[in-house]
Order: sequence, then structure tokens, then C-alpha cells
Amino acid sequence: MIGVGETTFRLRVRFRKADRLRYLSHLEVVHSCERAARRAGLPYAVTQGFSPHMKLAFGPALPVGTAGLGEYLDLWLRSYVPSEQAFQALRSASAAGLAPVKVKYIAEREPSLGSALTIAKYEVVLEGGEALREGLRGSFSAIIAEGELAVDHKGKQKVFELASTLPKEPDVSTSGERTTVGLTVRIGERGSLRPEALVTAALTRGALDGRIASVTRTELLVEEDGSWRDPL
Amino acid sequence: MSDLWSRIEPLLAGVERPVRYIDSEWGASHDDASYRVALVYPDVYEIGMANQALQILYGRFGALEDVTAERVFVPWKDMADAMRAADVPLFTLESCRPVADCDLVGITLPYELTYQNILEALDLAGIPLRSCDRTDDDPLIVGGGPCAFNPEPVAPFFDAILIGDGEDAVADIVAAHRSAKAQGASRAEILRALARVQGVYVPSLYEPRVSDGIFVGTTALEGAPAIVHKRVLPDLDSYRAPTCTVVPFMDVVHDRVGVEVLRGCARGCRFCQAGMVYRPVRERSADSIVRDATAALQCTGYDDVSLTSLSTADHSQLEEVLRRLTRRLEGTGVTVSLPSLRVDAFSVQVARLLGGGKKTGLTFAPEAGTQRLRDVINKNVTEEDLLRTVTQAFSAGWRRVKLYFMIGLPTETDEDIAGIGELVGRVFRAAREVTPPGERGGMRVAVSVSTFVPKAHTPFQWEAQIPLDEVRRRQAVLRDSMPGKGVDLSYHDSDVSFLEGVLSRGGREVADVIEAAWRGGARFDAWTEEFKPSRWSLAFEETGVDPGGIANRARRVDEPLPWDHISAGVSRAYLRIERDNAFAARTTADCTFDGCTGCGVCGSSRGANILAGDRRG
Ligand code: SF4
Repeated sequence: MIGVGETTFRLRVRFRKADRLRYLSHLEVVHSCERAARRAGLPYAVTQGFSPHMKLAFGPALPVGTAGLGEYLDLWLRSYVPSEQAFQALRSASAAGLAPVKVKYIAEREPSLGSALTIAKYEVVLEGGEALREGLRGSFSAIIAEGELAVDHKGKQKVFELASTLPKEPDVSTSGERTTVGLTVRIGERGSLRPEALVTAALTRGALDGRIASVTRTELLVEEDGSWRDPL
Repeated sequence: MSDLWSRIEPLLAGVERPVRYIDSEWGASHDDASYRVALVYPDVYEIGMANQALQILYGRFGALEDVTAERVFVPWKDMADAMRAADVPLFTLESCRPVADCDLVGITLPYELTYQNILEALDLAGIPLRSCDRTDDDPLIVGGGPCAFNPEPVAPFFDAILIGDGEDAVADIVAAHRSAKAQGASRAEILRALARVQGVYVPSLYEPRVSDGIFVGTTALEGAPAIVHKRVLPDLDSYRAPTCTVVPFMDVVHDRVGVEVLRGCARGCRFCQAGMVYRPVRERSADSIVRDATAALQCTGYDDVSLTSLSTADHSQLEEVLRRLTRRLEGTGVTVSLPSLRVDAFSVQVARLLGGGKKTGLTFAPEAGTQRLRDVINKNVTEEDLLRTVTQAFSAGWRRVKLYFMIGLPTETDEDIAGIGELVGRVFRAAREVTPPGERGGMRVAVSVSTFVPKAHTPFQWEAQIPLDEVRRRQAVLRDSMPGKGVDLSYHDSDVSFLEGVLSRGGREVADVIEAAWRGGARFDAWTEEFKPSRWSLAFEETGVDPGGIANRARRVDEPLPWDHISAGVSRAYLRIERDNAFAARTTADCTFDGCTGCGVCGSSRGANILAGDRRG
């Protein structure tokens, strides 16, 4: 399955995309991580064929502007490097905003990141205080009670079944003039619900006043036999 | 600290590609020295970050004692509008400081069609557009780059312009500025001090003279040298090129690290300004190229290193360099690339060495369709060379080739134009013969045709550029002569070439045109979809400058020219001899193979040709 012909080692990297670097696109994240791996001097494996390139795989993409605190990539190495050493090498070759948090070797038979990571947790921060909190709570309950949410994305309409898409009720809390919505979203086969879309729908429904200040994906989890676990 | 980030960030959600404005790249340096330099590239981030000179100067300024260099790009229209609405001034990327708070603002002059963006940048920064309106509180505005060899069209916007190589000059400029400031000098005194630095042109110390509406010469005022001689870095190996450049997150136009292998070109193509103004030829040694390429790849993490220069295939040790680099990079997925190739067998060999299995496409520039015209322009390529090269490439598996030509070259006739079509036809047939029948459907010859723009400091600096209706007529002649099947013909926009002609040979009066065009909304004219010829027509009308009188007029060879007080080292007498040779269709050999031909560059502070080995002709 590895397609590299010889024994390789699959290093899973949890990384963050944060601060100013949340403005990177997924493709820019991919290229930047590749460059960091080369700068780190790791013995990365290279695919065969006419245009050989580094073998690595990413979890679900993050849009421009959304930060991620626990994002994942798998990097295949040609030879074994102790994981602590690989981590230090990667860290010292990375910009602070796009940097490894933890690494671990995982078995080749484990499913790919793309298919394994199906639960995403988000934090959406809005400008607004207690009134906004109460309004959002009401709107979320009403939306969930309807069972479905239709979202326009790039001119196309997508309908999400909320029972499956939202495995947990949104959690809304306020501190001063900031309101934080905690969301858990199941990533389906046909794409995932963008947290801004759900929050915007709630704002519209309740005719609420609140500007989204930031969106952060805080965790990505593997769902196995009905329970969730850390991919590392 | 005047960090503007908290005011910039709220604007980012509403603009395209916010990654242009966020800094934080690998290799960006965040010093906090007392003397601040803002390096402005007059285009957007992804264009400017691909510019090697900018990276070199960033490194050179930053290495000076107690000097911080920061990058500045022109915000795209959406961001510029948002900044104006929110009253956010132009800022440096690294510290988000107002550009106006820096001590020195260096602005690159990469290409004539970026001139209005200089004004866009100064205006966004809140700095007066013209040197004469600036006060002691404003930063020093210094220009430099390829277009500096005729600085007159932008001269009023600059306090000083560096002519020639910047590597060593930047230290002298900073030192002169600092010491004058420390002595409490006025702005006028500072400018006079800068005029004493070799290679520095201070426009306010020169007065163009006009009599009866005709330009009759430029006078140097007291304290300024009559002629400003370009600065030359005599030996490229005497300094360390930056190997830890800033690595953009954004995918930029050339996503690779560049290592300069030589500077200058002595092939002597008579239309080519770069070939005249960057003499002498200075090769770097194979050892230092390999060392720097390796270090640059390690430090930046790029997967491609480009060996850059005007004519990389001329490097006398190129084969050795390529052999050593490809051996080192084997199995890493990292590649070596060359920006341009010559029309000869060696190039195909090189392309094979580089491409491995990839056969993307080869590019050659015969420039003219007949041997007579190629002799006029001194493009020493024969039809035989071209056919042989193409045959070798297609035999080796290439299926695509791109050919560059020009129309409007001096002495060109319709026969020469039809000659382009015939030559392309012969190239196609030669390629077809060595391509297996089953693969012939995939064969492609792309032909790209631009209009010749005469440039300052070349043997053709006196010639008339052909007017627009004549361009259209000749394009039609060309179209009729072009074989249809398998050939893709494309033209460079002739309105752009016309404007380029005006901006490259105009005098100081053109500054008013540039300002009027910018006030009329011209920004990013180097972007095809942004270029509106009508804005420039209005600007010419408003300022009363006749563009045809600049672009389409033949000059007498003894006529004063707006750039006569700027010396690129090649003598005017040599340019005249080369002009005579052109009209007699006599070629001139490359002095790096066949001995000096007397252009006048070598000697004194400008050094001489430096070759790392023997060149192959
Ligand atoms: S002076 Fe002679 S050797 Fe030097 S660049 Fe000119 S032609 Fe070549």
C-alpha cells in the first residue's frame, strides 16, 4: 500500500495553523509543510514516477482564515529517526504559526487521515454579550428541532441532516463582550458543515447582532465503534 | 512602537489573498535597529517575492551594522481601497510600521509598466510624490534596478537613484546618509552628499534644458558629477549571495530558490539593453555555485533551484555544475532548472540532464525570420542551428517547443516577416520527421511575437519604434505567412509595447504623464486585465506630451538624449559603430570567446570579464 517499494516509516504529525498563519490556504499549508520537512533534513520518502515528490498525506483541509490547533499530516520516512529527534528537527525548521505539536509513528495498516478523521471540534468567537448568548441558544435549538439545514456554498445548495452532522448540541458561553460557540461536527462523505454557516444561520434566524471574530478548529478525532479517540 | 497590525487585521477578512499581508515567513528577519530601510517592490507580493534582486538587497541592507531592512509590496486594489477607507498607511511587512517612519525607502525599478505603482506606494505611505515637495521629516526615497539606465521619466519622484549593481553601493548610501544626518545636515545637503557616492544619481542636481520645445541636453548643477557612472560589483565571488532567503507561504510566480551563476552577457544582441548595460561578464566559480545552491536548498526547503543569469548556458563550467548538483540531489525529488536556453546542441544535452523523465517544453529565441535580419540584430543563430537543435530535442522525446520572435526591428521588410512563417514551417517539418507517426498529433510549436521596443544605451537607441497601425499591418502579414496546423501564434499586446517605448526613452516631461495616469486610476498596468490604454491617452492629452514623438521618432545620432548623463560604461562611439554594423548586416563576435571588441566597459572601477573556465562558442 505504501507505493514506495521499500520499507518506510509513517510518522504522524499533529500541528497547529494559528495566529497570522491561519490566513494560509490548504495548498499553501501543504507546500509549507513540505518545505519544513526538507529544511528539517528528515529522510523523507519520495514517490516514484516521472515527477518524484515527497510522500505525505493531510487530514481534512482548513479554509483560509480558520485556525487549527490539532491538525494532522502523515509523513513517510525512508529510515527511522527517533520520534523526539524528528519532532525537534521539524520544530526548529517551522515558523511559529505553522509548527508541529506532537509526533508519533503509526502502523502502515491504519486508515488514512482523510478517512479516519470524521469528528471536528470548533470554537467560533463572536462579538456580543449575554443577549447574544441567549439568542444563539434559542436559535440553535430551533434549527436542530427542524432536523435539517440547507446551506448555500458557492452557488450550490447542500442539505445537512443535523442528527448525524451535529453529534453534540452546540455549547454557547459568554465572557464579557465575547461569546464563544463550541461546535462538534461530523465530517460526512460529501463534505462537512462549515461552522460559520451554522452560526450565521443562527444569527439570521434570531435576527441577532453579532460579528464572527474568529473560527478555530480545536480538535480532530477518530470515530471508532461509537466512541471518539485521539488519532495519535 | 507604531505597530499597525491591529488596524490591518480587521481589513483582511474582506480582501483577496490575505496571505500577501501577514509576514511571518521563514527567513524574514525581525531586527529592531535604529536605521530602518523599507524595500518597496512596485507590484503585489507574489510578483515581488520572486525578484532575486530584492532578496539580495534585503540581505545586504540587513547585514549592515544597526540597520533593519523590511519588505513592502503594493497592496492589491481591494486592500489599497480598504486601507484608504480605514486611514491605514502603507506599512512594512515585518514590523507593520508606517513606511513613512523609515529612514530610507528603496524602490525597485523592474519594468516601465510598474511606474504608476511607485506613485501608488508613495501616496499610500503619505509621502509627497515629488522630491521637491519633501521635507526633513520624510524618508529618503532611493530608486534602482534595470530601468535606472534611463531614469528621467521617474526622476522627479526620487531623491536619488542608484545606477548599476547595488551589493556594495547600499553600504555607501547608508553611510553617507547617516553621517550627513549626524552632522545635522539639511535635506539639500544630504542629497549633495549622496551625489558624491559613486553610481548615485541625484535628479534634483540635474536640469534638463529645453529650447523651443526641444530637449537640448542636461546640465549638472554644482557639486554633481557631469556624468554618473554605473556601479559595478567587479567579482561576484567576492561576496556571499544570500542563501537563506525569505520563503513565501504564498505560491509565488517562481517558486524556487535562485542562485546567480553569472552576471552580464557579451553576446552583443543589438536590441538587448541588458546585454549592453550589465557588462562586463562575471562568472562565479563552479565551487561557489554548488556550495550556494546546496546551502540555499537546505536553508529554504525549496524543491527546485534555478541557476539564474541573462544567459546561463554560456557559463564555462555549467556542465560540471549540473553534473555535481544532479548527483547530489538524486532521489530527493529536488530539481535544478535553468531560466533560458541557447539555440544549440549543448542546450538539448543540458535539458536532458535536467529534465530526467519530464519533457515539458523547450524555449528558444531566434528573434528574426531571416539570416539577414538576424545579422542586423547580431543574434548569432543560424537556421541550421535552430533546425538541428529542434531535431535533437524532438528525437529525444520533446513534443513542444516555443519560439520567440520580434517584429518592427530596424530594416525589417515584409520579406523578413514572411520569413518568420517560413522558418516556423521548416521547424515544424523538421520536428515532424523525427517524431513517430503516432505521436505527431501531440506536436506543438508555440510562436510568441512581440513588437521591438528600442531601448536606451543600445545600438538601436536612435531608432523609431514602428507605429501602432504599422504593427497591425505587419501582424497581418505574419498571420498570412504562418502555417496553421500545430502552430499556436500569440502576440504581445501592441498598446503595451507602445507605452513601454514612451516610458523607456522619454525624458523628464514623462513624469507628469505618469502622475496624470495614476491620478486617472492607473494601477498595476503590468497586469493584462488591468491595463487600460485610454487612461494613458487621457494623461498624454492632459499633459500635452506627444507620445508618438518619443516612441515613433528616429533620432539623429548626434542628437542629445535624455540619458546622456548616465553612463552604463559602453561608449557612445561603440554604439554608433555597432549601429553602422547593423545597417551593413555585419556581425560582431562575443568578446568572451573572441577577444575584446572595444565596447569600453572594461577598465578602471568597472573591472573586466571574469570567466571561471574556457567558454565554448
Ligand atoms: S571592453 Fe572589450 S572585453 Fe570588456 S566587455 Fe567590452 S568588448 Fe568585452
